Amino acid sequence: MRAYLKHPFWQAVGLFVAAFLVVEFVIPALPGSAVVPKSVVLQYMATVLVGILIWVSDDEARWTTFKEPLHDVLIQPRLKVVRTVLLAVVTLMVGCLTYSQVKASVAAPPNLRSIHPAPPSQITFRGKTITLVGLENPLRKQGDIAAHIAEGHRIYYQNCVPCHGDHLDGQGHFASGFNPLPANFQDNGTIAQLTESFVFWRIAKGGPGLPREGTPWNSAMPAWEEFLTEDEIWSVVLFLYDQTGWKPRTWEVSAEGSK
Amino acid sequence: MEAADLGSERGGQQVIHTLLLLTLVAVQDTAAGKMVYTKWCAGCHGDNGAGDGQGARHMVPPPRDFTGAIYQIRSTPSGQLPTDADLLRSIDEGLGGTAMPGWKSRLSERQRRDVLAYIKTFSTFFADTTQRPQPIAFSKEPGGDGGADALKVGRQFYDSIGCRKCHGDQGRGDGPSAPTLKDDAGHPMFAANLHENWRFNGGGTVEDIYRRLRTGLDGTPMPSFSDLLEQKFLTDEQLWRVAEYVRSLSPKEPPVVRDVIHAPLTKRVPHAPDDSAWTAVDTYWFPLVGQIIRKERWFAPAVSGVWVKAVHTADSIAIRVAWDDRSQSPDTAWLAHLGRVFSTLSDDSTREQPVPWPDQLAVQFPVSSPTGMERPYFLMGSPSAPVYQWRWSSTARATAIAGLARGVDRFDPIQGAGGGIATQSVYDHGEWRVVFTRALASPDTANQLPLRTGRAIPVAFFAWDGSNGEHGTRMAVSTWYFLALDEPVPARVFISPVLAMVLTLGLGMLVIWRAQQKTSYRRQQ
Repeated sequence: MRAYLKHPFWQAVGLFVAAFLVVEFVIPALPGSAVVPKSVVLQYMATVLVGILIWVSDDEARWTTFKEPLHDVLIQPRLKVVRTVLLAVVTLMVGCLTYSQVKASVAAPPNLRSIHPAPPSQITFRGKTITLVGLENPLRKQGDIAAHIAEGHRIYYQNCVPCHGDHLDGQGHFASGFNPLPANFQDNGTIAQLTESFVFWRIAKGGPGLPREGTPWNSAMPAWEEFLTEDEIWSVVLFLYDQTGWKPRTWEVSAEGSK
Repeated sequence: MEAADLGSERGGQQVIHTLLLLTLVAVQDTAAGKMVYTKWCAGCHGDNGAGDGQGARHMVPPPRDFTGAIYQIRSTPSGQLPTDADLLRSIDEGLGGTAMPGWKSRLSERQRRDVLAYIKTFSTFFADTTQRPQPIAFSKEPGGDGGADALKVGRQFYDSIGCRKCHGDQGRGDGPSAPTLKDDAGHPMFAANLHENWRFNGGGTVEDIYRRLRTGLDGTPMPSFSDLLEQKFLTDEQLWRVAEYVRSLSPKEPPVVRDVIHAPLTKRVPHAPDDSAWTAVDTYWFPLVGQIIRKERWFAPAVSGVWVKAVHTADSIAIRVAWDDRSQSPDTAWLAHLGRVFSTLSDDSTREQPVPWPDQLAVQFPVSSPTGMERPYFLMGSPSAPVYQWRWSSTARATAIAGLARGVDRFDPIQGAGGGIATQSVYDHGEWRVVFTRALASPDTANQLPLRTGRAIPVAFFAWDGSNGEHGTRMAVSTWYFLALDEPVPARVFISPVLAMVLTLGLGMLVIWRAQQKTSYRRQQ
């Protein structure tokens, strides 16, 4: 056992296996981490292999000892079985890999979708033209904000819960039926990054109002102008920010604009 | 005398102090709980816990009314209050098959405990703290064979203790009493479909099922079977066998959605739904959800998904769609149930008189094979970009009609022999099985998609349960998935692997031969 531990070849093998275990199992187990994709594992392991080879070849004596077991497998008469099995296994593996590469299998076409496509500068809401650029939520400066939020709460629970869910995380009880999945408002990549006018546009026009890069044919988001008034949409926008605690992005005040 | 009086007075003060402190702690809990409740729970369960929140009338089953303190998921005997642990479990994990999610990820343990304390204040039943609810001392699942014999025992008692009356002969919730079921408040109830254990309210393991058999689901028609144990009608082990039998009706794991239905190439097309050729074909599951996108919306779909198989020959395709449906509609026996569904829901569409509508299914394709990424709108296309559909109805079971849908409310049949679609269907103990067959080629390529091999053809499914009030835009819908008619593996696919193997073997042998040559040469030296 000791002899194996001291042998550069077995040390190299040990290092390689340990690195693999870390990438495959330890990294995903870290808090806030995820499973490492296969292609990334491959990259990591290639880097590790290069590193190990540099280390073993760095010293002439170590290099010679490192090569011994490899050389033995190639020539030693007592290792004839190992040699034959290795040759057969490698050959079969190459065959299987090549087969899986060349065999034709129909896969779903890639779904290239822009999540936050550029909004139009203005929209027509029930016949009324609304300019989105520079638009703020009018309810923030009008009447009782708590009452607006309560109204947004009512609208959310009567219309949005089945898909966007009680948690506002896009995991309502109907969410699994749709692709793309409903937006997760708790995530820092959705409403947290958007202006209220963008959110208003997405609610008012829904999936059918998306530009082509937003794959409007797949989105299950209704065009809410069919169901809700302008004020109702603005109040549900208030509710989304209030319930999640995110702040909407605001328009930059231009130099020549009023401050 | 005096000293004794003093002592008792002090003791009394102490009691009062303790009581005050306890109330204070309780008040603190419930005040914090109220904040959590108002923010996250009141939208469905209502400000006063009566299950009448703003979202309540858009869901079946409706949210729990806390004022009655009647809870389905308990560890306590029927008719008793749940334990705190029982309530916490429902808060933490949610209730399968309903709109109630688990809250473990959103709320801290402290918040969940606070909200639990607050929920209990909605009912006076919890105020009497002298009676602590006592959980039943449940037995452990007995060992034994657990195989076919155990399931046979389970099946025997499934029949004799009356499960089949509501849950049906095959467990799909289609028993003779199924149309009459309602909860204590008169809301419509479905007997659980025992083939979908991932949708069981209280969890889908054998242990969960056993517990529900022991405790019953209070407030619903599901009784407790503990009294049958006391009467020695069956043993505890036999009740476990019932639970094992019920569990065996569902798949081992909940179905996973795979995007592409692979239709293998076969020698002949199986036209009949129960043709033995279908058993060897892979099955794909697609979930369906309520159509809540266009008016009239539908929040209570009865069909939870479809199981799809497909095969093709050189010139035809057969697609077999199976789905669980408790009722063979149209069926007037379900009209009372339908009335209850309509009065529970309040949405755009419930002012209608209940009518015995048929069951329906639609399979949808694009009109022509999409070249780029673009497809028609998944929800039945649009006036400018229609979709090609096969529609089947339980009132004309032997024919399906092909046509073009231009949005949810417009379907134009293709004239002549139903557009070339043949169907055969079977209704069997709560399951519809329908086979659609068509020629791959199409005489009218402008409107009827020619089905070509070796490409991903978009496909979607829609289902209506007539006895649940579904017709027109009130339906269960799916998004776009894909159908692939697999081609036989061409011989050339095998050439490169063989070539690669020969090369590898040759190179390996060369390396070994060289190494050995070198060594023997050195030895000779």
